[in-house]
Amino acid sequence: MSAALGLLLAALAVGFALLWLRAQRSTGRARTRLAAASAELERLEHAFARFAPMELVERVIASGVPTSGERKEVTVLFADLVAFTPLSQSLDPSALVRVLNGYFERMSRAITAHQGHISTLIGDGILALFGALESNPWQTNDAVAAALAMRRELAAYNDELAASGLPKLALGVGVHRGTGIAGLVGSSELMQFTVVGNVVSVAARVQALTREHGVDVLVTAAAKQALDPRFQLRALPPAALKGIAEPVATFALLD
Amino acid sequence: MAAHALADVEWDACVLEPLRRPELEAEVRRRFGTLPTSVPYLASVPWVVRSMTDTSLFGAPPLSIPTELAELIGLVVSQDNSCRYCFGITRMMMRVYGMSEKQIGKLEQNFLDAEIDPRSKAALDFSRRLSRAAPRVQSSDVLALVAAGFTREEILEIAFFAVQSVYMNRLMTVSAIPFGPAERLGNSRMIRWVAPLMRRRMNQLIRRARERSGALEAPAAPVPWGFVARAFRGTTAARKLHETLAGAFESSVLGARAKGLIFAVVARGLDCSRSEREAGELLHANGFDDGRIETVLTHLGSPDLDELEAELVPFARGTIRGRPVQLQQRTGALVARFGSERTVEAIAIAALANAVCRLGAVTELE
Repeated sequence: MSAALGLLLAALAVGFALLWLRAQRSTGRARTRLAAASAELERLEHAFARFAPMELVERVIASGVPTSGERKEVTVLFADLVAFTPLSQSLDPSALVRVLNGYFERMSRAITAHQGHISTLIGDGILALFGALESNPWQTNDAVAAALAMRRELAAYNDELAASGLPKLALGVGVHRGTGIAGLVGSSELMQFTVVGNVVSVAARVQALTREHGVDVLVTAAAKQALDPRFQLRALPPAALKGIAEPVATFALLD
Repeated sequence: MAAHALADVEWDACVLEPLRRPELEAEVRRRFGTLPTSVPYLASVPWVVRSMTDTSLFGAPPLSIPTELAELIGLVVSQDNSCRYCFGITRMMMRVYGMSEKQIGKLEQNFLDAEIDPRSKAALDFSRRLSRAAPRVQSSDVLALVAAGFTREEILEIAFFAVQSVYMNRLMTVSAIPFGPAERLGNSRMIRWVAPLMRRRMNQLIRRARERSGALEAPAAPVPWGFVARAFRGTTAARKLHETLAGAFESSVLGARAKGLIFAVVARGLDCSRSEREAGELLHANGFDDGRIETVLTHLGSPDLDELEAELVPFARGTIRGRPVQLQQRTGALVARFGSERTVEAIAIAALANAVCRLGAVTELE
């Protein structure tokens, strides 16, 4: 009787020990997964800081997406490829994607090297903001320096494209300074930190105006006012822009 | 695991010429108990090396907050500033003070979820805001510390150790000081075994520094940005800040005008009006009128600047929020044109401006 009880107790002990070992292993695995997830979260947090202010990223992680916006003085750079539609029809899809990705890579480098951040890619267009993530008293100089860097990067990229037998790209850039509303905008499925308002519309329309004037970079009078006089500009005749009452004076950026 | 937190941060090779100065090294050893590997790279400008010891725990020890909190502040600010060198050193110090590898890892991976008491969390949160300065600290940030139960002296010490890290992070990052030895120390398994001995030695050095600290106020002699040092009365930082500023402005490696310009640019970039006025006074005394100052600050350049100043003005701007590798590339260009000595002083003045202007913003809130 006592031997049977002893056996039963021993079997129970072994059973508990096995269960405990399994639980330990399972906890260990969960802990490793949690540590990996935490590390990933930290990496994501830092990665997101390139697209939205760090304080905002932390607020989103801690208490969800804030619905408030902030009025900010920003400089907007809007860039678009000239005659991209016919080009996209003449290239095969994989070559087109390769050409576009190479273009975005170089433009992104030029923008971030000058304290700007890309808010949105719209087809082949780029909306870049200066002074939106953190206050920047030199935002307009940075934006125009970025436009010059984009011009240089594109020239180098065109040499590479030509060497591969691919067509060259041409760029139109509009730079404007003004006040916009900065915040997280979008739906629950797709949200981005951006600036909305007239300042963005004007930059986009001024970009379109580069075709009419036959230049690659145009700067508005509001941007010129804040610009270092060492940048060389050429005044162009004021032009009417859709949705804006008065004709807008623009300046072509020289080398 | 911990090294991963900054493992992706690019870091250029250091281009500064290491220099051996036995007397200076002996002085550092007396204070630190060891010779940091960064010292030879900065030894061409002695006040820079002295500032490292003077503003550390062993030069300006905390009297109100625990030493562990001062170290914890150093860890989170260094991580935020991507300083691989300081990060390795503070990790080692945290482990010496008894924090487990697991606790440090958790703090590095996710500050928001880390298991630390609310008071320490409030202090760390304030330190990161002060370091980031985006936007610059507000009265509400100081009031959050008051609400967490911190006294005036404690708040001053928290602010001081946050900007001491801002200073050291920029000094090490912009100089591209090799981080390998510091990182290996921070990750070393041996620390666990030698920690009790190291802790005893460090506590002894800190105790001695407390005994030496003397009057808890800045000396009366005028020095640029003396208002910041004076605001720290009641802490050991007051005198050490004053001495560091005096050392920086008495040195003749760079001219007073170049130093004033660096401070002015950083003050403008951080939106610190009091510091910008102070820089203005220094520049007036060196022949720059308001119009010329405004031109430099609006466009980061002017025909009135000499060759060196014309390089230092955009360089100073880069130190406010630049990525390490971008800053280090600029440093390489400065060394190539102007040599190690002037570059070391330029880096240290820019680092000091970043620290002092942030502190100046705190004193404006008082």
